[in-house]
Amino acid sequence: MKEEGNYANRPSNTAFTQQRLPAWQPMLSAGVVIPGFLLIGLAFIGIGVGLLITSRSIQVLELDYTGTETSSPCYQCTMSNQSNCVCKLSFSIGTLFKGPVFFYYGLTNYFQNQRKYGVSKDFNQLIGDVSYFKSPSSDCQPYQRVNGKPIVPCGAIANSMFNDTFKLYQIINGKEELVPFDGKGIAWWTDYNIKYRNPDYTPLKNAFNDTEKPVFWTKPAYELDTSDASNNGFINQDFLVWMRRAALPNFRKLYRRITEGNYKDGLPAGNYSLEISYNYPVISFEGTKKVTFSNVSWMGGQNEFLGIAYLVIGSMCVVMSVVMLIVYAKFRFPEED
Amino acid sequence: IDCISHFTFFYYPKLYTPGQRNMYFNRTSFLLCIMQSCYNSLILFFIPYAALHDTVRQDGREIADYQSFAILLQTCLIIVVNAQIFLDTWYWTGINHFFLWGSMAAYFALTFTMNSNGLFFIFPTMFHVFVSGTGRNSLNQPNTWLIIFLTCLLCILPIVALRFIFIQTSPTINDKARKYKMRRDEIPAISLRPPATRRVSKRSSYAFSHSQGYGDLVTSQKFLDKKTPRRPLLFVKSLCKLAHMIIFGFFVTFTQL
Repeated sequence: MKEEGNYANRPSNTAFTQQRLPAWQPMLSAGVVIPGFLLIGLAFIGIGVGLLITSRSIQVLELDYTGTETSSPCYQCTMSNQSNCVCKLSFSIGTLFKGPVFFYYGLTNYFQNQRKYGVSKDFNQLIGDVSYFKSPSSDCQPYQRVNGKPIVPCGAIANSMFNDTFKLYQIINGKEELVPFDGKGIAWWTDYNIKYRNPDYTPLKNAFNDTEKPVFWTKPAYELDTSDASNNGFINQDFLVWMRRAALPNFRKLYRRITEGNYKDGLPAGNYSLEISYNYPVISFEGTKKVTFSNVSWMGGQNEFLGIAYLVIGSMCVVMSVVMLIVYAKFRFPEED
Repeated sequence: IDCISHFTFFYYPKLYTPGQRNMYFNRTSFLLCIMQSCYNSLILFFIPYAALHDTVRQDGREIADYQSFAILLQTCLIIVVNAQIFLDTWYWTGINHFFLWGSMAAYFALTFTMNSNGLFFIFPTMFHVFVSGTGRNSLNQPNTWLIIFLTCLLCILPIVALRFIFIQTSPTINDKARKYKMRRDEIPAISLRPPATRRVSKRSSYAFSHSQGYGDLVTSQKFLDKKTPRRPLLFVKSLCKLAHMIIFGFFVTFTQL
C-alpha cells in the first residue's frame, strides 16, 4: 500500500466537494405552517371581499342580436340571400351608466384558437414586406390565391374579419341623437406600432397592384378607412383587434369607446336605439352575436369568479389551519429517537 | 439531500431502512404523484379559464387573447414547479438558492426579452411566433397577478397541509431524525476511528483458521440479495417533476404559437 498513491487519488477535502457547505434547513414545523395558513386565509378573504365589491360596482349591459327568434328585430337579416341588411335594437338604461363606457361585440361558439386557423396568416405581409405580396406563405391555404392572383392579407384569420358595424342613438324627445364613438387606441400599442406596418408606398393602393382582397371582404385593405391614413391598411384598429385571436370560444372584442361630447360622464338614463348593419353570418355554426356595454375598474371587467374563488379558498385555509391545529395537538410529535 | 450527515447514518443505520424497504419509490407513491400532477393540471387551466372568460383588461381592451392566456399559464406553471422544488429541498446550500431563484428570474428575463421590440426587429422571422409585446401587455395587469397568486397557492397549499398532517400522524424515521436534529442542534460528534490497517483481534491466525468461518454465510445465500437503490428519494422526486412537466409543459409551450 503506497501512501503517496492513496493521497494522489483522494478527492479534495473542501466544504464543496465533501458536501459540508453551510446550509439552511427548513422544517415544516407547526409554528410556521399553522399561522401561515391562517394568515393566508385571512388575506385571501380580504382580497376576495375587495374583488367582489369592485366587481359588483361595474355595470354591464349585454344584448344578443343574432336574430334566431322570430320576435327579434334582426330576424329578417338571418334569411339567406340578404345583403346590407340593417336592423335596429331598442333598449333603455335605468340609471346613469358611468363612463368611460366601452362597447364590445361578442361571439360565441367561435374557435379562434383552432390550430390551423391560428397559423393561417402571413406575418411577412403584415409587417409590410412587399415581396411577400406576390408570393404569400403556404400557411394561408386555402386563402392564398384567388383567380390566379395572391391575396393580401392572406389567411383565414384575416378573411374572417368581423364586418358588422354599429351606430348608437339616444332617443331624446322623440328624436334620435347620435352617440359619438371613439375608435382610437383600441388595439395593443405594440400591435399598432411594431408588429403590423403598412408598406412604404404613397398612395398605399400602389403596393397592392396585382393582388386580390380576401374573398370574404367587401373592400380591399387599403380602403378600410379612407378618411384617416393612420387607420388604413394593416394598421386599421378593427383589423388589429380581430387579428389578435382569442383563446376561448366565447369572447368579446373591443369595438369603440364612448368618451366624447355629452357622453363623457357616461350614458345617461333613457331610451336608446342601436342600428346594426348585419353582415356577419354566425347561424351556420350555431354561434351567437351580441353587443356589450361595460365600464371597467382596476381589476378589469365584471367577473365575480375571482372574488368568490378568493373567498372560498380563504375560508378553506382558515378551516385547514384549525384542522391542523387539532391534529398537532392530538398527535403530539413523540419525543423519541 | 438530507440534513443528516453521513456520520449520523454511520452510527444510526436504522435510518437506511426506508430506502431498503422501497418506501419512497413504489407504485403507490408514483400513482400519488400522477394524481397530484393531474390535479395541478386541472387547476392550472380551469382557474385562469374561469377567471378570464368574461372579463377585460384594466384599460378595456381584450384580456383573454391567445398569447396572454398562454403567458399566464406558463408563469403559473413555472412558479408551481419551482415551489414544489422549494418544498422538496430539505437542505439549502448556496447552490440550491442560486438555481431555484435563478431559474425563476431567468424565466421572467427571457419572457421579457423574447417579447421585446428589439428582438422582433432583429429576427422578425423567428420571433413573430413569440409575439412581441405579450409579456409586457399581459403581465402588467393586476388581474393577471391575482390569478397567478390564486392558482399557485391552490396547487401548493394542499401539498403543504397533507405533508404537515402526515408528519404529525405517521412520521417516517427520517422525519423523526430531522426533528431530533432540529431540537438537539447537532448529534454529538463522535470522532471516527482511523480505518484499521491491522487486525484488532488478539487471536492468532492459527486460531482464526480453525474457527467457524464463513460457511454459513455462503450456504444461506444471503449475499445474493439485490442491492437497493442508493438515493430513491431524489429519483422519485425527479420523476414527479418529469411527470408534472410532461403532462403540462407540452400543452403550454404548444399554445404559445
